Amino acid sequence: MMSQRMRNALVDTMLVGTVVLLLVFFYAPIATLVAFSFTSSRVLTLPIEGFSLQWYGELFDKPDFWPAVRNSAAVATVSTIFATVLGTAGAVAWIRYRFRLQGTFRALTFAPLLFPQLLLGVVMLLWFSVLGSWLGFSTGLATVIVGHVVYITPFALVVVAVQVYGFDETLEDAARDAGASGWEVFREVTFPLLWPGIFSAAIFSFLLSWGNFYVSYSLAGTARTLPIFVYSGIAVGSSPIYPALATVNLVPALLLVIIAEVLRRRALKRQASGISES
Amino acid sequence: MRIEHKSWNDPVLVATVAPLALAMVAFFLIPLLMTAVLTFQTTQYYRLVWTWDLKIWTEVFSKPHYWTIMMRTVTMALVCVVLTVLIAFPAAYALATRLKTFKTQIQILIIFAFLTDAVLKTFGWILILDKNGVANWLLMHVGFPPEMLNLLFTPAGTMIGMVYNLVAYPMFTIYLSLVRIDRDLILAAYDAGASRIRTFFEVTLPLSRPGLYSGAVLVFVLSLGAFLEPKVLGGGTSPLASELIRQSFETRVNWPLGAALTVVLIAIGALMLAACAAFALRRTSSTGRPA
Amino acid sequence: MTSPIIDASGIVKDYGAARALHGVSLQIGTGEFVALVGPSGCGKTTLLKILAGFEEPTDGRLEIQGVDMRGVPAASRPTRMVFQKLALFPHKTVAENIGFSLKLQKVEKGQADSRIRAMLDLMHLKPDYLERYPAQLSGGEQQRVALARALVSQPGVLLLDEPMSALDAKLKKSLQAELKKLHRELGTSFVLVTHDLEEAMMLADRICVMRSGHVVQVGTPTDIYYRPANMFVAGFIGETNFLPVTATASSVGMDVVSPLVAAGKTSIAPEHVSPSLSANGTALLVRPETIRFVKGDAAPGEWLLDGQVEEYFIKGASTQYRIRIRGLDAAVIMDLPGSIVLPAVVGEAVRIGFDPAQAFLLSE
Repeated sequence: MMSQRMRNALVDTMLVGTVVLLLVFFYAPIATLVAFSFTSSRVLTLPIEGFSLQWYGELFDKPDFWPAVRNSAAVATVSTIFATVLGTAGAVAWIRYRFRLQGTFRALTFAPLLFPQLLLGVVMLLWFSVLGSWLGFSTGLATVIVGHVVYITPFALVVVAVQVYGFDETLEDAARDAGASGWEVFREVTFPLLWPGIFSAAIFSFLLSWGNFYVSYSLAGTARTLPIFVYSGIAVGSSPIYPALATVNLVPALLLVIIAEVLRRRALKRQASGISES
Repeated sequence: MRIEHKSWNDPVLVATVAPLALAMVAFFLIPLLMTAVLTFQTTQYYRLVWTWDLKIWTEVFSKPHYWTIMMRTVTMALVCVVLTVLIAFPAAYALATRLKTFKTQIQILIIFAFLTDAVLKTFGWILILDKNGVANWLLMHVGFPPEMLNLLFTPAGTMIGMVYNLVAYPMFTIYLSLVRIDRDLILAAYDAGASRIRTFFEVTLPLSRPGLYSGAVLVFVLSLGAFLEPKVLGGGTSPLASELIRQSFETRVNWPLGAALTVVLIAIGALMLAACAAFALRRTSSTGRPA
Repeated sequence: MTSPIIDASGIVKDYGAARALHGVSLQIGTGEFVALVGPSGCGKTTLLKILAGFEEPTDGRLEIQGVDMRGVPAASRPTRMVFQKLALFPHKTVAENIGFSLKLQKVEKGQADSRIRAMLDLMHLKPDYLERYPAQLSGGEQQRVALARALVSQPGVLLLDEPMSALDAKLKKSLQAELKKLHRELGTSFVLVTHDLEEAMMLADRICVMRSGHVVQVGTPTDIYYRPANMFVAGFIGETNFLPVTATASSVGMDVVSPLVAAGKTSIAPEHVSPSLSANGTALLVRPETIRFVKGDAAPGEWLLDGQVEEYFIKGASTQYRIRIRGLDAAVIMDLPGSIVLPAVVGEAVRIGFDPAQAFLLSE
C-alpha cells in the first residue's frame, strides 16, 4: 500500500504530465512544420539532411502567394474591426442591459458559435448565391468578410462580456459625482476599463480570421486567402514551401501575442508593485 | 453587477443591439431559413428550379448511402467527444489547481496553438503520420520496427486531426467551471474527512459538470462539420457528411440536395443540444442544485 | 440651526411595489456633521443616493443650497460622495484620481496641481504617492485618496457612504479621529451613512436614526443615548436593559411600578420620560453601567432584583455580568469597573440594584 503522500505526489506528477503531453500534442505539427521549413531537400521526411532557406525564397516567388497574403490581411483587418465593435456592443447588451426580446437577441448572437464552420459557410453560400443571382453579384472577398464577421463576432462578444461582467459600476457613479457628462464617463472610465477585454477580443478576432479556412473556402468564390492557398497546394502534393509558409505565418501571431502579454504585464505591475513598501 | 432596464425607445439600446441583431438576421437567420426553403426545390441542367416539392427529401430518405455516411459522422463525432473530454479534463484540472507558476504561459501557449491556421496544422500532421513521417522515424529510432504506424489516410488519422482541432474547446469550458468552484467547498470536504480523491469525485467533478456538458456538446456539434481532417488526413477513403455536402454543391451542383443534407446535419446537432439541455435541466430539478 | 444647506421634505422612494422611504424629512445645517444610522435596509443609503443625485425620489422635495434638485444630475450638484468601496479609478494614478473633477472643470494645469498637492498635504499622504496607482496603496491610504478626490472640488456637502466599514478596528479609530478633525477645519457639511451608532455618536453633531424607511429620531448624540425616543433607538447602541413597568401620569411626572420589584411605586421626573411615550410596552431603560451588586442594605429609593449569575465577561477596563432574573426573558446586563477580585462567579445567587429615578421611561 502506498503512503498517502506518495500517492498525492504521483497524482500531481500525472496531472502536470497531462499538461506537458497536451502541449507536446499541440505543438508537434507546428514544430514539425518549422523544422521542415529549413530543409534543403525536396522530400519532407526525416532526417533533415541540410539547412537551407531556399524554400522561403521559392514561397515568396510564387505568383499567387502575395495576393493571398494581401487578401488575408484585408479580410482579417476589416473583419476584426466589425467583429470587435459589434461584439463589444453585444457584450454590453448581453450583460448590462435588460430589454424585451433579450432572450432572442442572446440566442441569435450566440448560435453561430454552436455551428460547424463548414455548415455556416454552406448556409451563407446558398444565401449569397440566391441573392447574387437576384442582384447580380458573385461571391468574393466581401462575402468572406461578412462570413467572418458572423463567425467571429460571437467569440469577440464572449471575450468582452467577461470584462463587462467584472465591471464595477460605482466607478461610473464616482465619475458622474465628480462632474463628468455621459460622454466623459465613457471616455474617462468605461472605455479604459473595458479596453483590455476589447483589445484581447480584437487580437482573438484577427487571428481567427487570419487562420480561417472553412468559411473562407465556402464564400471566397475565385478569390484566395492564405489558408485556401495552402489547401489547394497540399491537395496537389506536399512541398517544403508550405512548412516555410507555416513558419512565416507564425510571426505576426507571435508578435500580437507578445504585445498582448507585455501590455498585460504592465497592467499587472501597476497593480502589484509598491504594496510591500506601504 | 448593476442591471439597466432599457426600452426599445431608448436610442442607446437601439444603437447597441440593432447593428449586430440585423447582421445576424440578414446573414445567419435568413440564410438558415433559405437553406430550409431550398430543400423543396430541384435543379435541372445545373440550374435551380423553384418547384416546391418533396423530390429531394424522397431522394435523401431513399438512399441508404447518405445514411451510412451520416451514421459514420455521428459515430466519429461521439468518439471524438469521448476522446477530447478524456484529454481535456485532466489537463484543465491540472491547469486550474496545479501549475500556479506557469499558468499564464501555458494558457498563452494553448491559445496560440488554437489560433494557428488549421490547414497548416493539419498539413503538419501529414508530415508526422506519413509512413515515412516523423512518428515512425522516432519510433524506429527507439527500437520499434520500421513503419510501425500506418495511420495516414485511415479513420484513425481523421480522428487524430479532429481531436487535435477540437480539444481546446472542452479545455476552455471545463477550466472555466473548475476555477469558479469555491475553494472553501474543497476545504470543507477535506475538513469533513474526505480524501483528495474522494473530494474530487464528491465535490469537484459534480460542480464542473456545466463545463463538461457544454464542452462535450460543443465538440459534438463542431465535429459534425469536420471536413479538412477526413479529406486531408483520412485521404477521402471514408468520407463524412461534410464531404457529401461539398460534393453535392461542387461536383453535382445540386443545391437542394446539399441544402437537405445540411438541414439533416443541423437537425442532428440540434437534437443532441436539446437532449443535453433537457438532461442538464432534469438534473437541476431532481437534485435542487444547478447542474 | 443655522441656514440649512440641505432641506429634504416628504421624500418618498419606491422600487417597483416596494417602498424604501416613507416620506422622510431632514434638514442639514451649513457646516453640520449629520450621521444617518440604522440597520441594513432602513433606507439610509437610498436617502444618501437621493441627496447625491444617483436616485430620483418618487415624491417629495429636495433643496440643496436653496435650489430645487429635481432633475439636477449628480454631476451638477454641490455634493461629492465617498463611496462604500471607495470606487477609486484603478487605471488612473493617485494624482489623476484626485484631480479628476478639476480636469473635467478644465481647471488650469498649474492651479490644479497645487490644489492636488494641497489635498495630499491635508490628508497626510506622501507626495511621491502622486504617481502611484490605487492598488499600490494600503486600505487606509486609499481611504484618504478617496476623501481627497471628493474634497478637491470644495463641495458644499460631503456625502460618506459607510466608507470605513471595510477597515480593521484600529485603522478605523484613527481615520474617525481624522475625519472629525477634517470636518472641524474645513467647515463643509458632512453626511455620513453608517450602521454603527457608536461611530455616529463619536463623529456627528446630530444623528438621524432610521428604521424601515422612516426617521425614528433626530437628535444630538446625548439625546440619542440618554433620551432615546423608543426601545429601538435605545437598543441600537450597545447592550442595554429594559425593565417592563406600568406607568401612570402623576402631578410631578410619571409613577411607575414593576411586578418584579417589592419597593413599590417610584416617581420619574418629566425629563426622564420619552416625549413619544405610548401605552404600548412601557419599560424603564436601565443602562448596564448604572447597576450594582447589593451586598448589604439598599440605598434609599433603590430597586432591587434577585437573580443568578449566568455568565460574565472580563473586558479589561470593565467586567460584564449577565444576571438571570426570574420573570424576565432577557438576562440583565451590568457593567462593573474591572477589579482583581471577581465580585461573583457563575451560578452564584446575587442581588442587584439600581436607582429608578436615574433610569429613562420609554415604550416600544
